Amino acid sequence: MKATVLKFAVAAGLMAGVATGAMAQQKSVTIGVSIPAATHGWTGGVVYHAQETAKQLEKGYPGLKVVVKTSPDGASQANALDDLTSQKVDALVVLPFNSDELTNPMREIKKRGTFVTIVDRGLKDPAIQDIYVAGNNPEFGRVAAKYFVDNLKQGNVVVLRGIPTVVDEERVTNFEKALEGSGIKVLDKQYANWNRDDAFKVMQDYLAKHPKIDAVWASDDDMALGVMEAIRQAKREDIKFVLGGAGMKDMVKKVMDGDKMVPANVSYPPSMISTALGVTAAHFYTNAPMRGTYTLNAELITKDNAKNFYFPNSPF
Amino acid sequence: MDSVLRAENISKSFGPIEVLSGISLDLRPGEVHAVIGENGAGKSTLMRILSGHIPPTKGSLHLNGQPITFSGPVDAESHGIVLVHQEILLASDLTVAQNLFLGREIRRFGFVDDKAMREKTRAILTELGTHIDPDRQVSRLSIADRQLVQIARALLVPHKVVAFDEPTAVLTPIEAESLFEIIRKLRSQGVAVLYISHRLNEVKAVADRVTVLRDGRHITTQGIEGLEPLEMARLMVGRDMSKLYPEKPATASDQTLLTVRDMAVPGFVENVSFALRRGEILGFGGLIGAGRTELFEGIVGLRPSHGTIALDGKDVHFRDAREAMAAGIVYLSEDRKGKGLLLQQNLRINLSLAALDKFTKGSFIDGGAEEIALDRAIKDFDIRTRRRDLLAGQLSGGNQQKLLLAKMMLLEPRIVIIDEPTRGVDIGTKEQIYRFIASLAAEGRAVVVISSEMQELIGLCHRVVVMRNGRVAGEVAQADLSEDSIVYLATGVHEERAAEIAAGHA
Amino acid sequence: MTETVLRTGAEKRRFNVDMRALSPFIALIVLVIAGALINPDFLTASNLLNVVTRSAFIAIIAVGATFVIAGGGLDLSVGSMAALTAGVMILTLNNMGTGDMGTLALGMLVAIGLSAACGLANGLIVTFGRIEPFIVTLGTMGIFRSLVIWLAAGGTITMRNFELRELYRPVYFGSVFGVPYPIIAFMVVAAVGALILYRTSFGRHVVALGSNEDVARYSGVPIWRVRTLTYIIQGVCVGIAVLVYVPRLGSATPTTGLLWELQAITAVVIGGTALKGGIGRIWGTVVGAVILELVANIMVLSNFVSEFLVGAVQGAIIIIAMLVQRSVHRGR
Repeated sequence: MKATVLKFAVAAGLMAGVATGAMAQQKSVTIGVSIPAATHGWTGGVVYHAQETAKQLEKGYPGLKVVVKTSPDGASQANALDDLTSQKVDALVVLPFNSDELTNPMREIKKRGTFVTIVDRGLKDPAIQDIYVAGNNPEFGRVAAKYFVDNLKQGNVVVLRGIPTVVDEERVTNFEKALEGSGIKVLDKQYANWNRDDAFKVMQDYLAKHPKIDAVWASDDDMALGVMEAIRQAKREDIKFVLGGAGMKDMVKKVMDGDKMVPANVSYPPSMISTALGVTAAHFYTNAPMRGTYTLNAELITKDNAKNFYFPNSPF
Repeated sequence: MDSVLRAENISKSFGPIEVLSGISLDLRPGEVHAVIGENGAGKSTLMRILSGHIPPTKGSLHLNGQPITFSGPVDAESHGIVLVHQEILLASDLTVAQNLFLGREIRRFGFVDDKAMREKTRAILTELGTHIDPDRQVSRLSIADRQLVQIARALLVPHKVVAFDEPTAVLTPIEAESLFEIIRKLRSQGVAVLYISHRLNEVKAVADRVTVLRDGRHITTQGIEGLEPLEMARLMVGRDMSKLYPEKPATASDQTLLTVRDMAVPGFVENVSFALRRGEILGFGGLIGAGRTELFEGIVGLRPSHGTIALDGKDVHFRDAREAMAAGIVYLSEDRKGKGLLLQQNLRINLSLAALDKFTKGSFIDGGAEEIALDRAIKDFDIRTRRRDLLAGQLSGGNQQKLLLAKMMLLEPRIVIIDEPTRGVDIGTKEQIYRFIASLAAEGRAVVVISSEMQELIGLCHRVVVMRNGRVAGEVAQADLSEDSIVYLATGVHEERAAEIAAGHA
Repeated sequence: MTETVLRTGAEKRRFNVDMRALSPFIALIVLVIAGALINPDFLTASNLLNVVTRSAFIAIIAVGATFVIAGGGLDLSVGSMAALTAGVMILTLNNMGTGDMGTLALGMLVAIGLSAACGLANGLIVTFGRIEPFIVTLGTMGIFRSLVIWLAAGGTITMRNFELRELYRPVYFGSVFGVPYPIIAFMVVAAVGALILYRTSFGRHVVALGSNEDVARYSGVPIWRVRTLTYIIQGVCVGIAVLVYVPRLGSATPTTGLLWELQAITAVVIGGTALKGGIGRIWGTVVGAVILELVANIMVLSNFVSEFLVGAVQGAIIIIAMLVQRSVHRGR
């Protein structure tokens, strides 16, 4: 995925060079990027990809400056946006903590003529965003559910939820909806905060509570790792597999190697920030139309296609 | 003459202990009525009952002949009875005017009217004969000026009875004299003044009638005519004064143990020198704030200080109390509750805290040895406690002082410095503590007693060093020990001026 | 295990049992009964062992926090310190090559050394800088946390050496005579902690310092040394907790140890230690840590609490547990 984005970005850069030629000499564009700080594997991936892509694009597009700001929570993100706009940016690429909270501030920024790109969590008023690069959370839940239906046919499943957010809610609701009418029953669902330690504890408790569990939807790779450690400790043979999500490299590797407990994964690439940056930069340097919504597929990763999703150099 | 406020058969008990029993007292308009008695005689309790701070257990109060009960000090104030507290109860970060009107601010359209309050403050202060700036912050006033502000605050409400609780404790004689002027002025306005003190010369100077309390009982009420301070003292103590203090041990020697030269504690003490000899009790007198406590805290390493300290002829410098203790010097703080004992901990933990090394076997504390030490301390120091697992904070002031003494004596010190040994201690315990201090000297230790009680210094010490404004004002030898000689050094009032003042109100 | 705690808790050779010291145990028993009523699976040996084992990290850290808090201090940095220590330990294990005991021992040494150094830093800044411990440790909390994120480059620090991982794994998952190692570890830490706090001069000095710093100073207690040492003890406890934590998942992430400081402080307070200092109850602290973990376990095992309300019910249970304690010793 990341490779694709970079290829795209570089290609766009070349195109810019060819298309605009001497024009690029005077052109000066600043893109501000506001993303969550690296407090979780996935957001760590986002930070990594944002920084890498920023470097690539600055090399490819002469006169382009990309300023990346990370924030540990929603309130500090609002402040970071103020700081960025005061630096007179031409475009803002934002992955919001909470899209509802940010809708009004972003509207103000938009009014001043800034080009707005939103990533992953769309604003309440879609008119504000020039570009929206979306991960597909409902699809994420549906793809996972479909895997259970296809491979388990029937049985008991336990679910580990993330942090109570729209993202988590969309995933879990659509997961359950997609299971309706199948032979698969959700025994239990609890929040484990996308955290390995919490997932370990919740899974230990599931194992004490439910004598027969057929499979686990951990919904996130960090949580899947905690879950697997708890299963290993309990030496329970009834659990056939654990399905994580987001495509952490260690987990993709397991899929690639044919690990029985980890037969598949669902992609939700942190490199979507690269896509957003590439498209935003291209908007300024090419004449091709870029405005619109880009929905990235939540793809099922299996042994057959895993190598396309494996990036050993990424921190995630 | 009709009385304005009359107390009839007032008794007050705290738990099983009766601190006042059957006191009757009447206050007439236009008189200064002094109540005298030793510490613990019940003066303050009586004052607090009269001013509505606490209700009596038995008996009744009458205002202008009508029985009355006060629901609290505010209620009493609304009936014209105000109390000037002994301690300074002002918010030191606020201005004089803000303090005067604290809790009763003048409002205009819902906002405080600073201008009106400032003017009223200026007026009342002028009336008191002072020119303190109403906008000055209280923390920048002298102690005497703060006292005046406190009086002004009390007089702000319409008053028929004004009670002063030990008002001169922190004042120099000249400042005291202007206070007496204020009191006489109040008297001439027909106000009844209740004046509590144990400074008998002052009482003689200002009072019209005197009521003597002893151990919570009413001893006598007499006119001031023909009642001399000596007779007042006899009435107060109720026995031969010499019995309160033990024989001064004859162990005072010429052998110098500790020499202090040019000692300075920045901000408090300058250029102090003295010598301490084996077997003697050396007193340190002076007014509150003269720097006595700070001097000794500096010597034992509890405050930054510089100067030369020689112990047994060898120069020493203590960086903290631990080092001073190791050298055999202990300091017992005047602030027993804040700096002497852990009020939230039990007796055992308090007792062994300073000398914990003596109770460790290997790495561990020997709890059995601690218990044995506590048994001995309770016996040797006569610590009276219902249960041995009580917390130190549950002991009475006297027993706390005994526990503190026991704690420090575990260190087997050669030099014992005791700051205000009998503050807040009842008379019976006082006697025990005096005897104990004498026995320390008799054992060949050197003892320093810092005290604001002149009688204590005179009755207990071989010599008294008097400090004034952070310096040594002089030394009084045993033969010359008298209240006058100490007061003279402590206040720095020239003899002529003192005579003038004395003549003014004799 | 409850019996063991009870017996040792009463070590103070006193016949009149101190109800205040006993009340956390009563709260624990009430919770266990409640758990058993809610779900019969609760009382299985494996579930109870899991819960107690899980509470080991917080219990060990909270033993250290008991010293700091009893001495009148506070340490908010323990969670980040644990994450940093775990991260550095794993990096050491990854980069020191071979999968033998020697490497493991080195890693452990590094962990304890680093956490003790972090504690020393906290202690020195608090004592010599004369800054409120709340502010100091809030600062170091941020510093330690950022260092982990930086070391992990925003990702995860994972044990790479499989042999080492298998060699180390039993430290969390193994057991002697059915008692998991983490439980043994925290019982030992608590026993040593109790010995130091109740039976040594240093422990007595800690309590004196927490009761009233002035009295301690006027009594010749070396307050600077005592205070610094409490923070070092806290650091060492964090190190020991990390030794037990790392073998569980073999990784450290930027979220490792998040909010552990609050859990540790809560455990200390539930255990009966006064937040303002002067009273320290090691065994109460341990019970407090178990209670915290037990409440979470009961929540998952129960069928009637919506996952949305788990936090509220947990909070309510902790408050009720404290109220039960209060009424127990008020009733006396």
